[in-house]
Amino acid sequence: MLRRKILAAAAAAVITTLGATAALADITILAWPGGPAEVALRKVVDQYNATAGKAANSKASLIYFSRDSFFDKMLADAAAGSKEFDVMLTATYNVGKYAPFMTPVDDLITPDIKNTFPQSAIDTQSYNGHVYGIPTDLSLHFIYYRKDLIDKLLSDDAWKAKYAAITKDKLGTEMKPKAPADWTWDDFIATALFFTQSINPDSPVRYGTVLQMKNLLFNIMIFEGAVASYGGNWLDKDGKVTVDTDAFKKGLDVYKKIADAEATPGDSNSYEYGDANAAFGTGQVAFMLQWSAAYAELIDPKQYPAIEGKFDITHEPAGPEGIKTHFHTLGLGLNKASDKKDEAKKFLAYLATPEAMTMYTKEGGQPPVVDKIMQAVAAGRPDMLMMGDNAAKYGFVPNGGTSADALGVYTNMAENFTGYWNGTIDQATAIKKVTDYMTGVFKK
Amino acid sequence: MAGQRVGVRAKEQADARYFLVALCLFLALMLGFPALANLWYSFSNFSFRDLTGGSFAGLANYKQAIGNPGLWSALGFSLRFGLICAAIELALGLALVFVLHPLLARRPWLTGILMLPMMVSPALMGVMYRLILNEFTGVIPAYLQILGWPINFLGKNNVYYTVIGIEILQWTPFAFLILLTARQSIPMELEEAAAVDGAIGARLNALVILPNMIPTIIIVGFIRFIDSFRVFDHIYVLTGGGPGNTTTSLSIYIYKLFFNQNVLGEAVAVSIMLLVASLTLLFAGLRLAVRTRAR
Repeated sequence: MLRRKILAAAAAAVITTLGATAALADITILAWPGGPAEVALRKVVDQYNATAGKAANSKASLIYFSRDSFFDKMLADAAAGSKEFDVMLTATYNVGKYAPFMTPVDDLITPDIKNTFPQSAIDTQSYNGHVYGIPTDLSLHFIYYRKDLIDKLLSDDAWKAKYAAITKDKLGTEMKPKAPADWTWDDFIATALFFTQSINPDSPVRYGTVLQMKNLLFNIMIFEGAVASYGGNWLDKDGKVTVDTDAFKKGLDVYKKIADAEATPGDSNSYEYGDANAAFGTGQVAFMLQWSAAYAELIDPKQYPAIEGKFDITHEPAGPEGIKTHFHTLGLGLNKASDKKDEAKKFLAYLATPEAMTMYTKEGGQPPVVDKIMQAVAAGRPDMLMMGDNAAKYGFVPNGGTSADALGVYTNMAENFTGYWNGTIDQATAIKKVTDYMTGVFKK
Repeated sequence: MAGQRVGVRAKEQADARYFLVALCLFLALMLGFPALANLWYSFSNFSFRDLTGGSFAGLANYKQAIGNPGLWSALGFSLRFGLICAAIELALGLALVFVLHPLLARRPWLTGILMLPMMVSPALMGVMYRLILNEFTGVIPAYLQILGWPINFLGKNNVYYTVIGIEILQWTPFAFLILLTARQSIPMELEEAAAVDGAIGARLNALVILPNMIPTIIIVGFIRFIDSFRVFDHIYVLTGGGPGNTTTSLSIYIYKLFFNQNVLGEAVAVSIMLLVASLTLLFAGLRLAVRTRAR
């Protein structure tokens, strides 16, 4: 009897082990959590499992960390050689940092993939001549502005006169209002002053704009559009740090002038993405610079009834070098420690097909796809057309922006530039600290 | 009879040693090993690319850490923050003990309600206050606006006091709980004897109760100081250490060195220095408390 029980237990153990081995054949994808990106990727993964995955006898499943410090958690896992995920997230600004823990996917970059992504999108996932990820989501920045307020400013003579008086008084030059698509950074500042109640008590909104000035690296990405439009970059062609330049000083002063004039909320020094959306969404702010992802949130009348049907988007203001917007992509690539790279590649190859990306876009994702796919889904996603257009025309990644030290540079800039905007250090000190830091890291 | 008592005591001591062995093994595994690993890391030039293969770097990480002005700025913030918070939490905790002790002696379940802030995770506390204090969506600024006292709690001029205020609101209950326990452990006979000698009300508190609570006050003060000194969560959520680095605590500084700036050895060296400083302070606090009690 006892022997029979032992044999039964052993048989059960063997069956369980075999089952577990079969389960090991599945691949796990660590992806960006929450929002439309998660919803869309879940749909695509389900579709893969039902079609290409089934044909290849492979099943993909998704895992997520929370958004807070996502990349730090992934870095710790990847550096420790974790095999808990086979496919992992990449981003333009940290592809160099994660490259040592990833396997390039150069062999997936076939001529066919150009039917899905333009070369510029693939380049955002490249580092040192290798491609590390299939781009899934494009991020850049728009001006989100209140159409009703701007229309009145452009048509009401009393408002125009007041605008001229305020610009003469505060900026020393009498200016005329313009449509946001024609703004320079001076117009951006002038319109922010005009719509701020403490400067213009007749303004229907409390503040002209809302700047994101929390000591957070992502806020620097928004700011860098101004620097680039004045001709600024991190490094010149010889690799020399070029922060101590007029371009950076003028870009910094755009934020400084608005902050000093209190044309942005007083607690902007603690604002990031969500706070700016909340401020604009209450209907108490005339316009803002914001990530492209905000469009899908702000058009929801349940969340933001105060601005329902009242806002529109356009590109960032122009500087002497034209219009610029800092852009990056998120993507999915191969974990170097994975034992199932071949299977994971099958999923990535599927992800790079026009069918998968069309579905991903329709379900709410924001991939940097070719015009043909953009046009096919444009009816339901007006922001997508502008994203593709702006990325192609105005998008830039700073020199050194994909290096292993890019995150450190953004962090250092955030610490010092937010200090300048909020009056804790002067501009020369902020620029010197950033220059010294960057010189140190890029010298290595 | 006496021999039997000695035997029982020896057996209890032997049992205690067995229990202590298990505890010590647990601590050695869960705290000792990471501490030793970090000690090695602080003397090596390891990186994320090579977590186990760093070579010996001597005191280079410590030199780099000490030479970085960011360390002294963060240390200054943490010291001020720790001292201010510990002092206010102690004062408030003591005041609450003296005011509420009679009530809580009759209705001890009320203590549970007072402990609620302590049960919220500090990071969640940061998120909560980010919502509550927001100029547009926050409840408190909205009511203050109605009353004609518009205050921007997270504005650059107030954010320092706001992060201190949140720390105090969350952790005063801890100081209160320990001090209350100390107050309740003072024998009733002592209070009755003092009353017979004419010490009642404020005199009783000043001459009898407070001196008996001093060892606990010292310990609570040190614990609260160390805890506030290494603050991270709610400040990181609310301000990210800014504007600039005006609210960058030593813990936030270490985190950014490690994860954002990739200088792992320097970050671990600062952690080791922080650990040594904390242990020294706690040891000093314990000695002071023991000496005070002995007197």
